[in-house]
Amino acid sequence: MARLMDIGLEKLRNMVLDMAKLSEDTVSTAINAYVQGKDLRDRVYGWSEELRILQDEVSELAIELIARYQPVATDLRFIKSCMEVAYGFSRFGRYAHDISDVEGIFGDLSTCDKTAIVKAGDQAKDMIRVSIKAFTERDIQLASKLKTMDDVVDSAYLEFVKKSARNPGGDLRCTVSATLILRYLERIADHATYVGETVLYIVSGERVARK
Amino acid sequence: MTLSLQLEELKPANSEASAIRSTMEKFKIQTEKLNAWFGNNHVLKDLSINVKENEVTAIIGPSGCGKSTFIRCLNRMHELVPGARSSGAVLLDNANVYARGIDPVTVRRKVGMVFQKPNPFPTMSVYDNVAAGLKLNGVRDHQKLDRAVKWSLERAFLWDEVRTNLDKSGASLSGGQQQRLCIARALAVEPEVILMDEPCSALDPIATAKIEELIASLKSQYTVVIVTHNMQQAARVSDSTAFLYLGQLIEYGGTTQLFENPKEELTERYLTGKFG
Repeated sequence: MARLMDIGLEKLRNMVLDMAKLSEDTVSTAINAYVQGKDLRDRVYGWSEELRILQDEVSELAIELIARYQPVATDLRFIKSCMEVAYGFSRFGRYAHDISDVEGIFGDLSTCDKTAIVKAGDQAKDMIRVSIKAFTERDIQLASKLKTMDDVVDSAYLEFVKKSARNPGGDLRCTVSATLILRYLERIADHATYVGETVLYIVSGERVARK
Repeated sequence: MTLSLQLEELKPANSEASAIRSTMEKFKIQTEKLNAWFGNNHVLKDLSINVKENEVTAIIGPSGCGKSTFIRCLNRMHELVPGARSSGAVLLDNANVYARGIDPVTVRRKVGMVFQKPNPFPTMSVYDNVAAGLKLNGVRDHQKLDRAVKWSLERAFLWDEVRTNLDKSGASLSGGQQQRLCIARALAVEPEVILMDEPCSALDPIATAKIEELIASLKSQYTVVIVTHNMQQAARVSDSTAFLYLGQLIEYGGTTQLFENPKEELTERYLTGKFG
């Protein structure tokens, strides 16, 4: 026999999965727009706002479920994790918006070398996909891959910053804009890693110690 | 002879080591392979639990799992039921309350009990309800009785509500007040442990909240063991929780850990209502 709370839990899960799809599209659109030199700021901003509103709705439903059913054990961990994951997806939207804003701040960046961003961007997009799949399927093994994947994005960011510091010549607009975008991608990768950590928490109750 | 003196004499040969261990870990009650029967019905099976001193320990589990029987074994009330028996040990401060020569009445004075349904003595006043235990123990000094009644009613958060009506019948109080009167009655004989068997199941939410506040305040001076069907109540008031099922201890641990991340699948299923 289904429990009354199960209806709410299913609704919560679907809301988070809706956010997952939208956040993935938002980040991909922002990165691709930057690489291709397209101005899609309005679209990305609209989606990031939608993600923010959805995050509020997830929080409200989570609080309602806690108030109505006083969940414990797996149910409690799932609800708590949905709030955290929804926050992560909302941050994806916010960083995507920041990425799409870069071209607006610096103007035409078509002459800049975007190799590092394409590489880190692909990795960040992969991480979002993996984090969503791990959350959807409660797959701890898949979730555990995110930490290693995150290291790749971290390295790309740090290497670029160090390289830029060693060789200060070149187009400053290209250097600063790429640094900003790599930083946003690094943060997106961090939040994807956090989503993976919540999967471990939902399934086993264990918390990963963050550095 | 006081219970502590009786128990002192009855400590086992290795009592020193076990006393040191107990002091370090501050276990007030320890059960060792506790079994209980009603006739042929084996209701408790090898329960070994360490109850920490000055903590609230909740006992949860489905109906018939042995929760009430367990706490009734702790103060030897189980043996009052015809056909009931038990085996194993219940250690109060390291001394077995079932050891030969221990007076069960003395045990029950040290380990008081509050029941599901408030049961004040119906023909007695509020004052006499609280003083009854002391009078039975031979206290006749009116000033001493007055002090003890006031002290107990204050501890039970009831003094302000009944101070001008101490001669009123205990039965005339509201359900929540009657339960707090029963707690005051238990406190009057200065127990060290208070057992509560679903103390709020007959009370409304406001009266329940008062009892829960009272339980929280009592643990600074007493060790409290509470049986409850209300898991949220267990989560609110207790420090440790034990989950019993079919007379066996399935899981025992810190309340936060048990409610957030139970280790046993059976506990998880019971807590989340996926039982059966």
